[in-house]
Amino acid sequence: MLKGIPVSDGIGIGTVRIIKNKEVKFDDRVIPENEIESELGRFHSAVDVFCERTKIMAEEMEQSVNPKEAEIIKGHIQMISDPFMIGQIEDQIKNGTCAETAAENTLNQFIEMFSAVDDELTQQRATDVSDIKKRLLRILLGIEEIDLGSLPPGTIIVTKDLTPSMTTEIKKENINGIITEKGGITSHSAILSRALEIPAVLSVPEITKILKDGDSVIIDGKEGDVISEPTEADKQKYEKARVDFLKEKEYLNTFIGKDTMTEDGYHKEVFCNIGTPKDAVTAVQKDGEGIGLFRTEFLFMDRKAAPTEEDQFNAYKKVAETLGGRTVIIRTLDIGGDKDIPYMEQSREDNPFLGYRAVRYCLGDKELYKTQLRAILRASAFGKIWVMVPMVTNVYEMRQVRGIVERIKTKLDKEGIPYDKNIKVGAMIETPAASLISDILAKECDFFSIGTNDLIQYTMCADRGNADVAYLYKPYYPAVLRSLKTIIENGKKEGISVGMCGEGARDPMLIPLLLAFGLDDFSVTPTSVLSTRSCISKWTLEEAREVANKAMSLPTYMEVEEYLKGIIRK
Amino acid sequence: MRGRVLRRPRRKRRFKMVSKQLTVTNSQGFHMRPATVFVNAVSKYKSNITIKFNGNDVNAKSLMNLIAACIKFGSNIEVVAEGEDEEAALAEAVQLIEAGLGEE
Repeated sequence: MLKGIPVSDGIGIGTVRIIKNKEVKFDDRVIPENEIESELGRFHSAVDVFCERTKIMAEEMEQSVNPKEAEIIKGHIQMISDPFMIGQIEDQIKNGTCAETAAENTLNQFIEMFSAVDDELTQQRATDVSDIKKRLLRILLGIEEIDLGSLPPGTIIVTKDLTPSMTTEIKKENINGIITEKGGITSHSAILSRALEIPAVLSVPEITKILKDGDSVIIDGKEGDVISEPTEADKQKYEKARVDFLKEKEYLNTFIGKDTMTEDGYHKEVFCNIGTPKDAVTAVQKDGEGIGLFRTEFLFMDRKAAPTEEDQFNAYKKVAETLGGRTVIIRTLDIGGDKDIPYMEQSREDNPFLGYRAVRYCLGDKELYKTQLRAILRASAFGKIWVMVPMVTNVYEMRQVRGIVERIKTKLDKEGIPYDKNIKVGAMIETPAASLISDILAKECDFFSIGTNDLIQYTMCADRGNADVAYLYKPYYPAVLRSLKTIIENGKKEGISVGMCGEGARDPMLIPLLLAFGLDDFSVTPTSVLSTRSCISKWTLEEAREVANKAMSLPTYMEVEEYLKGIIRK
Repeated sequence: MRGRVLRRPRRKRRFKMVSKQLTVTNSQGFHMRPATVFVNAVSKYKSNITIKFNGNDVNAKSLMNLIAACIKFGSNIEVVAEGEDEEAALAEAVQLIEAGLGEE
């Protein structure tokens, strides 16, 4: 079995077709003075043909894939139309270089420049330029482009690298899988294969040499496995996996656009956890009903000075607008001594997770915190924003934060700047202290959001990164379950909304318990929205309560885990 | 008092050249899509437009050079415009960058 990077989920079983990019060869010529005009003309008409064909490809792609991916191809027109680059090529032709050599020299120069940059996205653009170069040279030389459109049904494409222009011709009903020698999770090959919903495994070394045309092969786009020369048993096993995958996907798709409801009709919400404004777009695409956790750390990392209010305001506003009126819970800066931020005054700590971090740091650096809160408040005029305070351990912290928020509101009123006057301010419940006082904390918070990742770590006193104690890092310990029950029930008693934004929210073993305790919203990674919605829809509150009662009565995590494994509904 | 260095009077420029320093705030920086938005918008101006970044002068009307410059989120840059419509060119360039280069 061969291994590669899994980039597009699903099982592909089929027949290998090796796609070789034929080398484009030509002889370098010197252009005599009197032919330079016509050589320039030849170059320009090749660029025109390139743009025309690319435009048609992009239009086809908009139909067959989606507008966003078509933009990659449209980008090729923009790139080749760069007046600076065209000028460079023209200059060479004017000096007697033939169009092919001039174009190759200049494009190679950009391929080198892009590849030399230490940035994955820029390096990927080198693939685009190399694709442009090959296609332009083919047009100049009158060589036909590769035709992937005529591949027969059941084909697994095996190639060094899938170029964007190749993918536009693919008929997705005929292609069962894609294997390449190059590319990673964010490459064109990956993005396009996911958009086309074709299983794909990339970066399998030497695969174009190992496999031959006509070989039978299986790929697993979830695990990254490539099985060459599969046995009958392999074929049967993977055929079943393929059918199951498709069935599940089809089934989950039936939940798109639906409300999240328990089987007996109680309304819940599935939100998404995001880290950048761009993720918000994904969250909407994946049918998230809101943002349950918008981490703001990205704004503060990798820079020399703190972001300005304006920088932050723009980012928050963008997310609020992307969500178009649906809830966006913004978590204020959650950072401490374990991360190095040059402009923040942090000292090395022996115990960063028990140290000067999150709300503690923010209340110590009020200017920084005020700037962030003011940016959030201003952005609240553009959508439905809630403010979440991380790592709260006592009521006083909430009062301090609320005090700052109130003072900023007064100032904004004076300045005539709009904001949401009823903006909700709540606590992220992730410390045992907050859990123990959740009854009194609930009186001073507009909502709770449980961060299971830290709550487990702090409750069990176990660093999940430490392999020796990782066995303690599980949500199924009775101590953690009791904590969850306390928090949710105390929040609901005060009538505030209680959500969860840790890994626990999408765990089918925990969902019935969370429903039984009364959790309102489940915030998960965008790709888990539909499976979480589906799982919630399988339970009535009565059934969930039975499961919860039983689980809460078991004394060890092994028994709890064993029991909950048996009740999973998807 | 710190003395000012007296400069030899320069040859008169036709245009005074305008510039502004700013920080890139859109998450993708000057990658493909944002850079395209930018180039398409500034190309209509007659002025020369340059982005100074990391000690390089990048031709702001050249998509390829902008991508190669690898200007990212948080990068500090200076936009310089020189030519008959320099004020308008600079104003639009700055406004675009501050608005996040059309990023969603």
